[in-house]
Amino acid sequence: MEFWTTSLGVSKMRPIPNALADGYERFVQDAIRIEELGFDGYGSGEHHFMYDEFMPIPLQAVAAVAAATSRIRLCTNAMLLPLYDPLEAAEIAATLDVLSGGRVSLGLGMGYRPYEFDGFGTAKRTRGARLREAMEVLRLATSQERFSYEGKHYRYEDETLHPRPIQRPIDQWFCGGTSLQGARRAGAAGLDYWLANSPFDHTEAIVKEYRQAGREAGFDESQLRVASFKDVCIGNTMEEAEGLRQMLIDSFYDEHILGYGYLVDENGKNVYNPPKDHPLYQRFTQSLYCGTIEMVVEELKRYEALGMDMIFLPSQQHELIAQEILPEFK
Amino acid sequence: MRVGLSWDLDRFDDAAGGWQGVIAEVVEADRMGFHSFWIHEGREGPADCPEPSVFLTYLSTKTRSGQLRIAGRRVTRALPAHIAEEVAVLDNFSRGRAGLAFAPASRQGVPAGHVHEMIDFVTSSWAVDEMRYRGDYVRFPAHTPDDAPPGTSVPTSGGDYVPQWEWGPETPDFLAITPKPYVSHTPVHVEIDDDETLEWAAKHGISPMVGADLPTSEAVLRLARYHEIADKAGRARREIEVVLERRVALDGATDERTLGGPPRDVLNAIVDLRRKTGVSHFVWRRGEATPMDLYRFASEVQLLLQA
Repeated sequence: MEFWTTSLGVSKMRPIPNALADGYERFVQDAIRIEELGFDGYGSGEHHFMYDEFMPIPLQAVAAVAAATSRIRLCTNAMLLPLYDPLEAAEIAATLDVLSGGRVSLGLGMGYRPYEFDGFGTAKRTRGARLREAMEVLRLATSQERFSYEGKHYRYEDETLHPRPIQRPIDQWFCGGTSLQGARRAGAAGLDYWLANSPFDHTEAIVKEYRQAGREAGFDESQLRVASFKDVCIGNTMEEAEGLRQMLIDSFYDEHILGYGYLVDENGKNVYNPPKDHPLYQRFTQSLYCGTIEMVVEELKRYEALGMDMIFLPSQQHELIAQEILPEFK
Repeated sequence: MRVGLSWDLDRFDDAAGGWQGVIAEVVEADRMGFHSFWIHEGREGPADCPEPSVFLTYLSTKTRSGQLRIAGRRVTRALPAHIAEEVAVLDNFSRGRAGLAFAPASRQGVPAGHVHEMIDFVTSSWAVDEMRYRGDYVRFPAHTPDDAPPGTSVPTSGGDYVPQWEWGPETPDFLAITPKPYVSHTPVHVEIDDDETLEWAAKHGISPMVGADLPTSEAVLRLARYHEIADKAGRARREIEVVLERRVALDGATDERTLGGPPRDVLNAIVDLRRKTGVSHFVWRRGEATPMDLYRFASEVQLLLQA
């Protein structure tokens, strides 16, 4: 099981004010350290038109990292593919793949914030279909000398991608949230599946659903990779770990999870600013796992036993994780 | 006078090998004091770079001083907000070393107005916060109505400040593109191959660039015409940076697009062009030149041009 991660540099954070250029520099310096510490991958997320100047083009962020590292995967967690022309996305990815010696891994999401779609002139209701079509375009463009594609939203006739990437096709993951419906879609399409933060029991149910759908569609289970974001908060005591979790919630997650419609109800509708006793909010906060080192190792071993190919760990406690947790999995 | 380098990437058979040579040359040239490195957008050959901003962001980590300029940017594939964003991201990674030059409309097969609108939109997005844009080719955000003022408009009335995380599912009429570039006035150029664009750029204070494919004689004529229009429009020379890209053949032959001969002759040719065209930034388009040529140019031409 691989361990990927990120750092805080790609935006300004209200609790820790910083100059953006300093944050970018820190993002590169952290990547160098991450590689030294033995992590396997490093990435950036994507948001647009944000007051905190969040990174809008994650492949550009990891391009800066590519020049300072030699081994770690360079990933997007996630790239909002419906906001790009798919062939342009393939060009960006291929350019970085060449520069980095074939280290690009694309985590691809559909996005959820309404103003991002309006800013780019993409109908939000089409995002799911656009993501699936665009992933196929990416696969074709990065694996074939020439390709054509005709879908509902995208059409290409006898195109060639320059430059040719090192990886053919470029590694890509479907970032499908935590819904069973998303898992079924990914499995049925044979896409490698990257889950959002979720408590273990729910993760287990999603993975089973995903593999079942994959088998029914005729895919070999061994070829269906699965990964998960897993925020862990490590303390010497539970109280200390929970304090760290609360700090993360107060400084970051409450705004991002509550305010922008990230949580989705059983009818597929985005939930804005729900009360904190809302079941979806409760489930999310419970997915941020708190424990001592031993407890976190035990929790991650459950994910390993589930057949996870990759766990995406949070942006803090890298040194501690590298010293105490990664050796348990090597 | 500033001196920079650009490359014929299409001469390489494969990107992986060819680009490594360019990267090594950039690192060396950055140490030698060259002022700028230009990566042209291209999609024809196996080693062309379709996304210069990614290449240059990579170079931002490898270099310390040189300007990192996107050249020949096209308006047809990247979405307008993406172009504004990519330059801003590059500018922050490089701490103010980014620049952007657009390809002429005729090379892209689009109306000149499309390129002009993109320049107007991108530069406005860096200069103002909440904005909307209504043009024939650019509309931002998408729900901007047909009766909005043409071009950029900003909110004119006050009202309570609503934090972004309290917007809910509604998109406001005005959005801010972020991040902003590191510097206040990021260099923006347009290639002036087209008469309509030449005139528009001169009147609006947009810096002209003449690429390596135009003959030197035509470059002189077009830049003279640009200055004539700009002067009539009351523009000041300090507003712009005139970029001229040429091939150089040290100890080689001069032709329509190449400045050749011993270093002294090349130096004289550039000085002559500076007098005729007001060029303030000379870019050497690198073809088959050797690393030793780079060193000779740096020590025997580039340094003296700044005297």
